Order: sequence, then C-alpha cells, then structure tokens
Amino acid sequence: MAKNNSKIPLSVVGKSLPIKDAREKVTGSLKYAIDHKVPDMAYGKILRSPHAHARIKGIDCTRAEALPGVFGVVTYKDAPDLIWEAHWHNYRGHILDDRARFVGDEVAAVAAVDEDIAKQAVKLIEVDYEILPDVFDPEDALKPDAPQVIAEGNAREPFIVSWGDVDEGIKASDIVAEGSMNFESQHYAPIGRNACIAEWSGDRVTMWSSSQTPSECRDGIAMGLGVPLSKVRVISMPSGCSQGMWWSNNFQLVTVLLAKKVRRPVKIELDQRECFATVKRRHLERSRGRIGCSKDGSLVSIEVDHIFDNGGYGFKDDPGYLCADMWGKSLNGRFAVQGVSTNLVTAGCMRGVGDVTLGAFLERLLDMAAIKLEMDPLEFRLKNHIRAGDPLQQLYNTELAEDYQIPPECKDKWPQLFHLSCEALHECLTKGAELFGWKEKWKGWGKPLAVEGQKRRAVGVGTGTHCCGTEEDGGTSAIVRVHSDGSVSLSCSMGRHGQGSETTQAQIVAEALGISPDQIDVEAGDTEVCPWSHGSVASNTAYRAGFTTKSASMDARYQILEIAARHYIKGEPEQLDIKDGIIFHKEHPEQNMPLAEFMSTHQPDTLAPPVIIGRPTERMPPTITLARQFAAHFAEVEVDTETGQIKLLNYLATQDSGTMLNPKVLENQVSGGAIIGSGFALVEGMVFDEKTGEVLNPNFLDYKVLRAPDFPTQFETLFCESYDPVGPYGAKGAGESPIAASIPAIAQAVYNAIGTWLDVPMTPERVLRGLGKI
Amino acid sequence: MIKLKLKVNGNIHELEIEPHAILADVLKKELGLIGVRVSCGEGECGACTILMDGKPVLACMMLAMQAEGKELLTIEGLGTYENLHPIQEAFVEEHGFQCGFCTPGIILSTKKLLETKPDSTPSEIAMSLSGHICRCGAYPKIIKSVQKAAKKLEDNHGKK
Repeated sequence: MAKNNSKIPLSVVGKSLPIKDAREKVTGSLKYAIDHKVPDMAYGKILRSPHAHARIKGIDCTRAEALPGVFGVVTYKDAPDLIWEAHWHNYRGHILDDRARFVGDEVAAVAAVDEDIAKQAVKLIEVDYEILPDVFDPEDALKPDAPQVIAEGNAREPFIVSWGDVDEGIKASDIVAEGSMNFESQHYAPIGRNACIAEWSGDRVTMWSSSQTPSECRDGIAMGLGVPLSKVRVISMPSGCSQGMWWSNNFQLVTVLLAKKVRRPVKIELDQRECFATVKRRHLERSRGRIGCSKDGSLVSIEVDHIFDNGGYGFKDDPGYLCADMWGKSLNGRFAVQGVSTNLVTAGCMRGVGDVTLGAFLERLLDMAAIKLEMDPLEFRLKNHIRAGDPLQQLYNTELAEDYQIPPECKDKWPQLFHLSCEALHECLTKGAELFGWKEKWKGWGKPLAVEGQKRRAVGVGTGTHCCGTEEDGGTSAIVRVHSDGSVSLSCSMGRHGQGSETTQAQIVAEALGISPDQIDVEAGDTEVCPWSHGSVASNTAYRAGFTTKSASMDARYQILEIAARHYIKGEPEQLDIKDGIIFHKEHPEQNMPLAEFMSTHQPDTLAPPVIIGRPTERMPPTITLARQFAAHFAEVEVDTETGQIKLLNYLATQDSGTMLNPKVLENQVSGGAIIGSGFALVEGMVFDEKTGEVLNPNFLDYKVLRAPDFPTQFETLFCESYDPVGPYGAKGAGESPIAASIPAIAQAVYNAIGTWLDVPMTPERVLRGLGKI
Repeated sequence: MIKLKLKVNGNIHELEIEPHAILADVLKKELGLIGVRVSCGEGECGACTILMDGKPVLACMMLAMQAEGKELLTIEGLGTYENLHPIQEAFVEEHGFQCGFCTPGIILSTKKLLETKPDSTPSEIAMSLSGHICRCGAYPKIIKSVQKAAKKLEDNHGKK
C-alpha cells in the first residue's frame, strides 16, 4: 500500500496548534465536575459495604432520615428492578440490589443540606447483613464449587480465536517454547476526583459528570431507570486524567436515583479512597501458552490461554486483543480468553485493555522462541510482524468475515476488509533501532551491555498495537453547523479528558471547510446537541469521530457550494472551493464571496439566509476490520542486583498513527502511554486484603506511580507515518498502542540484565526473588 | 467559628471559618478559587500547590489559620485568560499538559524554581517537580515548557 498518498497539500492538519482549552488549563479556570454547582443543590454520600459478599436481610433508615438536614435516603427498595449494562460491559447490574459484591460496593445513599450531615446520616443507616462465602482469586472463581458472584454465574463464555491446527503446528516446529505470566491489577490512579450532579425537572433528568462517554452515560441512565432517551440529558464535563476510568459508572446512577427521590438537585463527590477502591480498575490477568517456530525464525504455531477477572460488576468476555492480529503470520494460532467474576472491586477497560497484558505475554513468548533460535529480538519481530494487506486473524477466520458483503457502491472506495489497511511498524522498528543505537547496544540474549559492581545495564525492544475504534453498539456521528458570520460549531460526543480531541477535530473541520480553526467551536459533552458516539474509548476519536467529523464538514461544504453556484458564482458546485473563509471559482478566482457574507445574505429563492447543517453522509466501513495503530519502544535499563531496583536510563518510543493530525498532541499521547506503561511494568499494582478483598493501597502514598525524575529526561519520540485510506486525511488512533509496548521492551531489557523473566509489576521484591536472593 | 483575614492574589478577604478548616477548602469553597486543585487531599500529588510568601506549599496540608498574615498566590493571581504570565504562555505553546489538573500547581512550583535557578537542567527541573504527579505522563513536555518559560523570562528581563 502506498504511503503518504495524500495528494492535497494540507494547511491545518499536521500543525501543532495549542489545544483549545489550554488557556483555561494554565489559568486554573477550567471546570471539572467537582467544580460544578447548581442552585438549591443537596449533597449526597454513599453507604458502602464493609463485606466482600453479603445479602441485605434488612435495612433501617429511620435514624438517618430523622437527622436534621437530611432530605432523604435511597436503598435497593427504591431502585427499579432493571439491569443496566455499560456498552463495553464494564458494569452490569442493578443500580442497587439486595447484595453487596465487594468491600466498598454501594448499599444506600443519603442526600442532605451539606456533605458533613450526609456523612453523619450514612453512619446512622442500620443494615442487617447475611454474610455469604466469597472468592477473590480468578482461578478459584472458575472452580465448580466456587461461590457465585452474579446471577449469570462467575464464568463468561471463553472467547476463542483460532486458525489452522496448533497441535499439528507445534509438532511441525523446529523449536518450541512455553511460558506463563501474571499481572497484578493496575489502577487508573486518577489525578482529580469525580462528582456527579443530577437534577430532575418533571420527568426529565439532567446529569453533569466528568466522562469520556456522554452517550454511554445517557444510555445507562435510560436503561437503569427505565426512561426514554429523550428524557435524559447528559452534560459531560472535562475530567482529570481518566484513561478509561470515567466512562459511565454506577455512582452516577445512584446520584440520579437519589435526586429523583428527594426531588431536588443532588451532588455526590467521590473522595480519593472511593476513586481508588470502589469504581473500576484494570483486570487481574494470567496468561500461559506455547510457541513454535521453524529454524529460520518463522512463526508456525501460537497457543495462548488467558484469564482475567471482572471483579464484582464487570461482564466482559473479550478484552479486545489485537495482538493476535499483530502476530497473525503464524501458520496456526489459538487464543482462548475468559472473563470471570470475583468479589473484588469491579474491573474493566483501562487504556490498551487486553493488548497491554496479553500483548506483553505474546512478546515474552516471542522472546523465548528467539532465545532458542539465538536470534536478535529486533530481527525476529521484523520477520514476523503483520504487514499491510495481511489478514487480520481475529476476524478473518470468523463467520462475520465470510458473511460480510461490501455494498456495491463502496467496492472501489473501501480497502480490502479483514486485512490490514496500512502499517509503518516496520519503519518504526528499523529507524528506531538506528536512532537508539540498537546494533551497538544489543549484546545477545541474557547479556548485559555493561556491568558496574552490583549494577547491570541492558536494552530491550517491544511492540504494541490496538484498534482504531470499533463499531460495537452504534455508529459514531457528528453535526457541523455554519453560523451567520461564517464561524462553525461542531457537535460530537467525545468527552473531554484532555488528550486534545476537540483540537484535532477542529483541525479536521478547518481543513475540510477551508476556514481558520479559531472560527470553530467544539461541543463534546452535551447529549442535547451531540449525536450518539462511542466517546473517547477504544481509540475511536481521531479515526472514527474524525471520519464522521470530516464527512459532516464535507456535507456542509457541499451545501454551501451548491447554493453559491446557484446564486452567486457562475459554475458547478464542483468548480468552486473555499479557502481562508472565501468561496471562489477554482478557474476564475476573481469570482468569489466571503463565507460570512454568504451566510448572512438573503438567498433570492428563499428570501432568507441559508441554513447549513452538515451531517455525515458517507458510509464508514467497519474499521475494526482494517485499521490498527502500532508502537515500537526501545528501553535501556539499569538493574541493581542488591536492592532490586530497576532504573530507566534511556527510552525511545516510535509510533505509527498514520498521518499526524497535530504532532504535539500525538507526542503527549505517546509519552503518556510510555510512562503509564512503564509505571505498570515497574511499580503499579493494587494490593487486596487476602481475607476481605479490600483495596489496601487506595491512595498515592501506597499506590506508586512514576514521577518526573523516574523517567528518562532524554526520552525521545519518532513518528513514522503510514496513510490510512479511511481515517481522516490518513490519520489513525494513537493513545493505546504506546502503553502496550512498554512492558515488552522493559521486561526484555531486564531479562538481558539479570537473565530471568519476571511477572508484572517488576518490583524490587520480584527482582530479588528472581535472582534467588530472597 | 473564628475570624480570619487572608491576603490572596493581592486582595484582602475577611472570613469566618471553622478553626479546623483546611486552607485548600477555604480558597476553593469560600473564595471560589477553583484553580487550587485538590486530588489526594493528603500532600502526595502536589495539585493544590500555591505560593505562600513566594514559596510553594500544599494547601491541602495546612489549616487556613496558618495563612494569616501571609501573602498567598494562587494560579488565579499569576496571569489572566487574556494576559497570560510568560510561564503560562510557555505551557500553552509547548503542550505542557493534557488534562490540566496538575497544571496550576506545576506552574506555581516552576515560578519558584525559575526565580531560584533560572538555568536549571532537565534533570534539575524533573527533580524540582517530583512533588507533583502528572498522571497523563506529560513530563517530557512539562520539562520543555519550563525550559521555554526560562527563556521567555530571561528575554523579558533583558528588555527591561
């Protein structure tokens, strides 16, 4: 596939414009949901379960309700007997029911004149619990006699991707390697808390909360309360660093229920402990598998079994492991993944879900094979990774691929589905290796680059991938409205968690419409004006939202040119263009009209100024069947064999996100991924009480994250651009592949330093155990 | 309730507060200074950093009473939306943040750092910001922003 086949020179796309809310951020005036207030607002507090698994036999709220200042209490008795399920299956359950499924689970909520009274009232609720047997370990939870956490049973159906015959493949292989890997649960460790404000007006409800997924929140409220979507308005506010945490969460529905009962606006703000211990986290995951290769290093067979826990309310069966596609050149493959419920806090999608963990394990298997072959890990990856045009194994072998019919009118427009559309991973690996000095630094498997006393230095390389959005549960949409002065409003429900999507979308509109990005305002959170969208999840935004934003802009553009050609500029619409806010004839540029004048002039036929509202008119191909983002990271580490500490000395992150919409926005996405990924590799893991499953490190003192001095200041990024035929101006997703490439690069470097493979996070304790020192 | 006189961003405020009121809460809730961001509330994340007599302090770890008679500067007093301080300009231009929650605290710490050591190296900048968590992982661009801010301040100084 041709690279960079963009024919049109771009004027706005590709520029590092400052992000739209940058001034609000540096002046501290940006309002997050915790800063939002509405008049006559009550304050709510949630009563949480002290037990891992219990049935509520009785609940007495009379003392709480009698406390002066209390407006009301809700318990499961007030909740509709309705299940709500988040689109990405990170929650499935009632808003409240008569069961508690983890320590910290919601049991009741109080609304009062202030938060202090609400807190006091919560303590006055008397609950009679029947303690039930509990289960915390995902493998224990799969046993037939395990306590069942949810009515549907603990075990989800295994999700299996399979091609060829792995057993035959293993027999036919020249070398075979086997391994396993365990991952602790990473937490979002959100900076900034979240709050929810709900207000009912008659039978309509408005909810304000920080969220990446306004539409999902709205759907959840409609489902959980049994009201039509038309009665629900969600105003999603900016959030602090979210990484998948603040989508639609049950505390928001508890707030909506409470506000309904007390018939006044209610705000519930979560404290730090609640943010860490009661909402959501990355799954606890365990992988094992084997790999077979021929002597020349070609992949013959890969088999992986992977389980992950869903905690109390997660309901996922498929975390989305695009890494299976990445190494799909293997002649045979079988990936079996299974979700399982436990009495731990709910687990769900976190940035790079599936590919961070299972992807890291696959890379470990590749390394184990490369060791047996005595092959350079870089060469091994270059030989085996997916290339443009190769089948995407995860879907290629399914009935979906067999049944799928490309609409005839799209046959020439769409790339070959179920095959990779484009890729610059190869270039990332080769150019990255050159920049990093891989040839000079790579000394062979298990061989450090340098040994100084107790310290050993070594290098590693790893890759990561993820999707560029999926079609699950709906089609992303956008609306472009042109105003009488030629300025433009884009409405697209992406949420605002800080990665700069309003800015990159505005760049797309500006490019398509030929106007300045300053003239564009973006509404990303209000479901009253934004059509349905997945939100900023699964790397949807740049790619899928970008596609619809561009399509809606082109629709608006065509409407303008059609009217202009009819009344003001002689010619066909196709002969006209817009640049710098001026409509003109391409061959006779002296025939022109400023857009502002056009929009405010009464048309001769309607006797009114034109109404221009663009909507996506172009059909989007199923993007999961063609587009992937790629990362390749190079790390140099120093392992102290006495203290067990691992220090990152050098780090290079290379990235293929297609055309760069805004380079500085992308650089932040990539460094963010690398740093959070490195944090998981080295220090980040939740600690659960063995007896109760309670989270023991729900704060920044006990849950460690990397800070500025913990990451190399000489960090570098390198972008290799492929050109995606569907993404806006060739762009692809960016945020999730970088977090997937960290663990493989660091784990391999650590292996080369000390000769042993470690589970994640690779804490000093694990290093010393690996070295047999403790 | 006790009476308290606070000087914040050059303005004097007379307040009646509970003796145990936390400084960050008083600034945010009584005075509406939402740029004092509170995340951990226990002195670990650095988001609520303000300058007290020019030195960075954690507003979540202090009683409001402790600020009596001191000069407080929050992010609201540094530059305005229309007229940014050079440090704020540098952060805007260099994309020294994503979500922006940690930004006010980091900018105020930067002010002190650049007053003390304007020629700080990237490692020194990183170390001086070790009390701040940027969970988005924008550290590389934060360091670039601080370097650019140093340059801007030096240029401004030269003009005078």
